[in-house]
Amino acid sequence: MLDILQPTTVGFVSIVTFIATFAATPIVAKAMRARGITGKDVHKLAKNEVPEMCGLAIIIGLVVGVLACVIVFPAAIRALTAFLGTVLIAGAIGVVDDIHPLGARSKPVLTALASIPIIALRAYVPFPEIPFVGVVRLTIVYPLLIPIAIAVTSNSINMMDVMNGAMPGTVAIIAITAAGILFFLGNVQIGSLAAILFAAMLAFYYFNRFPSKVFGGDTGSLSVGAAVGALAILGRLEAVLLVALIPHIMNAFYGLASVRGLRERREILQRPTKLLDNGLLEASTEKGAPVTLTRLILASGPLGERQIVRSMMILTAISSILAVATYWITVAVK
Amino acid sequence: MKQLLPLAAIEVFVWLFLLGITFVISKGAVEINFGTASLAARVATQTARVVASGGLVLIWLLGWKKVTDSYLNRTLSRKRANF
Repeated sequence: MLDILQPTTVGFVSIVTFIATFAATPIVAKAMRARGITGKDVHKLAKNEVPEMCGLAIIIGLVVGVLACVIVFPAAIRALTAFLGTVLIAGAIGVVDDIHPLGARSKPVLTALASIPIIALRAYVPFPEIPFVGVVRLTIVYPLLIPIAIAVTSNSINMMDVMNGAMPGTVAIIAITAAGILFFLGNVQIGSLAAILFAAMLAFYYFNRFPSKVFGGDTGSLSVGAAVGALAILGRLEAVLLVALIPHIMNAFYGLASVRGLRERREILQRPTKLLDNGLLEASTEKGAPVTLTRLILASGPLGERQIVRSMMILTAISSILAVATYWITVAVK
Repeated sequence: MKQLLPLAAIEVFVWLFLLGITFVISKGAVEINFGTASLAARVATQTARVVASGGLVLIWLLGWKKVTDSYLNRTLSRKRANF
């Protein structure tokens, strides 16, 4: 009986999240446009104004999804509250950042605060599973690593949100991978959280894909990044999701290393790419230009924005396959 | 798709390198033990394990950076030469 019910409940929470995000996005977009909260679509010749901060719709979808999870999994209230609290705090930081841009150093510190619900509610298991190493006992150090994990995931996904559809497209692949592994492990409650994240990303991708009708802004990318970090901790998928996030870490780590530390986009004078007259993007050949994933993809020749995002999604799909292999190796060695 | 092959190869290399590093951690860092008699010994053990693992992770990140930098520099210099 339980086996028949589980796919139904997961389907229910996912559909509810999809509908909520899908319905909220145009409403939020209209409200943002009316308030003049728009951003330039910089990778297009026309440089259209697109409503910003529409990531609020993702947060609305996730809130509805988590509330639906509370109804069907009342026993998992602690994990669900920790997940929702993390997403809401990161989302609030994103709202502040979208309205009054935060400094390059204050943003990671503030996003680390989004981990407070997970730590305060003790919704973590301080025994991460690492391939070859097995279960590691980190009772004292683990809670100190949680803020770093949330800051890394939220900021690396934030730094990936540079092209139409890149953030929801790549995170949807990671979320469905996490959901698959968690359901296989029998962790239906946390697996449902991964499923609702996938549903929210799918709904938002419809509006954010090329050519974008909405931008998620830092509100969307920081909250989604925090959600991925929370999933890794609550689902005990730390090593697996680290591998799935390789393209995001590659983008963030090399971007930071190449500009020598934490800097805001406005502070970096050289751009990693150039927009050509034919609408294609080309990698900058300047030595001091930031090394980003987009620049790496474009290194061998110019591409259109749609092709770049497709490349990012293919690279995320490959890293997700490697993440599944990491899970199998962890299980096999154990 | 052809354009993505070197980056996919870097991803696989980075993953294999990560597995290698975790293997080294399992044989080295995890073996560090200052005893469990007192809280200070337990904290020292866990801190030493995290610091040693952190050092190995740093080696992983630097190896990853080296490979990516050499790919980017080689590809861009070839492009400059063609131009």
